[in-house]
Amino acid sequence: MNASPITSWEGVEAYFTFADSPTAMMIILGVAALVTVGAIIKSIAHENSTYIDYK
Amino acid sequence: MDQTQVVEKLAELQTLIEMSGTINMEVFYWWCTGLMVIIHAGFLAYEMGASRLKNALASGVKNILALAFIIPTFYFFGWWIYLAMYNGFTPDFEAGAAGLPWASAMGPNLADNASGIFWGAFVLFSATTASIFSGAVIERIRMSSFIILAIILGSVVWVLGAAWGWHPTGWLTVEWGFHDFGAAGAVHMIAGFFALGVTINLGARIGRFAPDGTPIAITGHSVPMSTIGLMLIIVGFFGFLGGCIIYTTGGQWTTIFGTPATLSAISFNTLMAFAGGIIGSYVITRQPFWMMSGALAGIFSAAPGLDLYYPPLAFLMGIAGGVIAPLADKFLTNKFKLDDAVGAFAVHGLGGTVGIIGLGIFSGFPNVVEGAPAITFLGQLKSAAVMAALGFVPGFVLSYVMAKAGFLRVPPKAEEAGLDLVEVPLSAYPESVPAKSEQPTAVSSPMTV
Repeated sequence: MNASPITSWEGVEAYFTFADSPTAMMIILGVAALVTVGAIIKSIAHENSTYIDYK
Repeated sequence: MDQTQVVEKLAELQTLIEMSGTINMEVFYWWCTGLMVIIHAGFLAYEMGASRLKNALASGVKNILALAFIIPTFYFFGWWIYLAMYNGFTPDFEAGAAGLPWASAMGPNLADNASGIFWGAFVLFSATTASIFSGAVIERIRMSSFIILAIILGSVVWVLGAAWGWHPTGWLTVEWGFHDFGAAGAVHMIAGFFALGVTINLGARIGRFAPDGTPIAITGHSVPMSTIGLMLIIVGFFGFLGGCIIYTTGGQWTTIFGTPATLSAISFNTLMAFAGGIIGSYVITRQPFWMMSGALAGIFSAAPGLDLYYPPLAFLMGIAGGVIAPLADKFLTNKFKLDDAVGAFAVHGLGGTVGIIGLGIFSGFPNVVEGAPAITFLGQLKSAAVMAALGFVPGFVLSYVMAKAGFLRVPPKAEEAGLDLVEVPLSAYPESVPAKSEQPTAVSSPMTV
């Protein structure tokens, strides 16, 4: 896969994966945020299931 | 060599010096950040040791998760808050643009050696704030509730305090001349008062108080581990304090407010306050646990003026912090039946308060921001009140809502069984002692003054 648009280091300053596509960057950021929130939700679900035996 | 060649050589030399300075700056903050990670090794050992055997791993997991969740959330919105919210609650969108998660400054950038390394230091300040709160609530808070509260504290509340009072143009600095070199207000007071707010709603551990309200000591399973953990926090604190000064290529170090400072001054005063804190707590308690907690309280009590104090004064400030913290913790426990398992409010919240107000008593230095007032007692006092409220109100309100929703605390049977058994699929010392329910004992506790 050629994920990066950077083909030469000449003149390069800021660089992100998918740097030429703001949409792709926003999708990656959104997924990262969702995973963070999802991990907390998963933690709540884990607790709710383990606490059943300790009510 | 003709004149043109000399000019070219000088320009080349100038570029090399500037690049060398920039890289030195990066290297300095890189190692400060690395040292700050040791703070978390310290908190981990401290809180695990202060927990009973049945909760040792759950306390450690909580601590690891605080660090893990703070880092991405600080990336998503924390750094933006610091850059944009220095005026109060009205954001400066232009100033905050560099902190948006899609900004070019927020990623690999060959033209920017500063943003990432400052972000790294700040995210460790954030994680430290969350870890301070973490110790107060061990052995009975729900893991998920803790994570949510830690994110709010570490990636929102403390950052707001830092933007207001630990930013060169923060409104507390510009309007009241607030000076807090070592973040006694933004980090320690906010974390301590937030912990107090949560502790009130969370309630005491089962067995912490007799039916008549008499406190019963709950002894952690490894006081030596806690003591070593506290020592590690002190080691990490040197990275923390290094991160509090600004490296300027070709110029003198400055504080985050732009006033002149040196590592030399901070070395004098940090070590003197550290020693004072230990001695103060030793005289009051004779206990290693409190001696090392007193060392922390001692440093926080001098932290706002570590760049300014005459070293023996820092020593006396350290002694004051080392004496006040254990006495205040005992008073709060006995009088208000608060169960702050590691004395986080007394050590960090009150230690920081002593520091902020103390600087107002002992210092009258000028500010460098044009038009800003000099450091004054009234300015420090009012700023301390702001920091206390900024920490306490969100901690109290959020935890109150969570408690009312039945989402703050683990069920009583789970607490009695131990959180390692219930939440963590692992035993701390499986080959020797199984994780099982233990009754609190009335023997001498590390938290007893």
